[in-house]
Amino acid sequence: MKTKSLPALFALLIFCLLWHGKSTAFAANETMPDVSLQIPENEEYRKYLGINGAPGDEFRLADIDTDILLIELFSMYCPYCQAEAPLINEFYELATAREQEDGTRIKVIGLGASNTKFEVEFFKDKYEVRFPMFPDEDLSLYKTFKGEGTPGFIGVLYKDSGNPLIILRQSGGFEGAEEFLALLLQRAGYQ
Amino acid sequence: MRNIFFGIFIVFLVAAPCLADGPVSKSYSGIFDPGELTPIDSELKVAVGEAAPDFTLEAISGKTVRLSSFKGKSNVVLSFIPAAWTPVCSGQWPGYNIAKDEFTENNAVLLGISVDNVATLFAWTLEMGGLWFEVLSDFWPHGAVAETYGLLRSDGTAERALVFIDKEGIISAIHVEDINVRPPLEFVLSELKKLPR
Repeated sequence: MKTKSLPALFALLIFCLLWHGKSTAFAANETMPDVSLQIPENEEYRKYLGINGAPGDEFRLADIDTDILLIELFSMYCPYCQAEAPLINEFYELATAREQEDGTRIKVIGLGASNTKFEVEFFKDKYEVRFPMFPDEDLSLYKTFKGEGTPGFIGVLYKDSGNPLIILRQSGGFEGAEEFLALLLQRAGYQ
Repeated sequence: MRNIFFGIFIVFLVAAPCLADGPVSKSYSGIFDPGELTPIDSELKVAVGEAAPDFTLEAISGKTVRLSSFKGKSNVVLSFIPAAWTPVCSGQWPGYNIAKDEFTENNAVLLGISVDNVATLFAWTLEMGGLWFEVLSDFWPHGAVAETYGLLRSDGTAERALVFIDKEGIISAIHVEDINVRPPLEFVLSELKKLPR
């Protein structure tokens, strides 16, 4: 290795350390992949998502009746996701309240990376999660959404023209529910 | 000058894995990936219905844990994992963290066992945020307990295995999982329920 290349390598190492050690949020403007999920058996969830159809059939994520969707990529086994659960619940409460305040509809769903249906339900029960969560046992959804560790978040803006847009990607958790909601709304152009 | 930069490079090379997914990060990635491994690489030396071979191992809590000390008091579940700081293992025991009530309800003690040394296991479980159950080091003689149970792989790691032992010290179930896959929680809870209270 030549001596003159070492400073560059040194700088790269510092950059990697500083970058990797923090949660990262990226602005993104890309069309959401055309993904389908199973219609939940729970009637409240069907109502929450605005989905018609028989439980067990599939629905397109793009058909969720909302203005903004936050997708949480999580795993029952991930300690950071466990620690984050109360914050996501708080986010859900704030997001739900927002509709009462100014009519902005913000929905939340979770995708359990490499989790069975049982494991997703177990996590939901333990942390009293009130929004719908779906198993992603073979990680296909995680890969489609280009997940980079758990927890991770995908913010999606639903537009009248169809083709929902991914407006935010975050690898890692967030510090405060209010701040994260503000960030999502700002990215969506609501603030 | 060259030596100085080389020295800095080495320091950061050593420090990078320690810092990269440290407490600041809230995303559970960045774990060493060994790739796809031979699913099972050992032959069991114990069977359901037999007495579980006794052992004494050092725990990361500083305690010395003897399996036979639970006889007549509690059911025991041994959770062998292949190695610390690897993908599936890093995402298995934290899941059991939120199933503590289920173990308690079924009068079962969970013992995590790895062939890593105490210091490594201490750092690894700390990074997970801590575990409620005892984590035992089967480091020296290397993998002796895993070997006794027929769960030591040819590369010195252990199988990803669960051994359910009833209050009388008799093995009620053994599950050796594909090392690349995590045993589903429903299997663990289902076997727990079969144990006597």
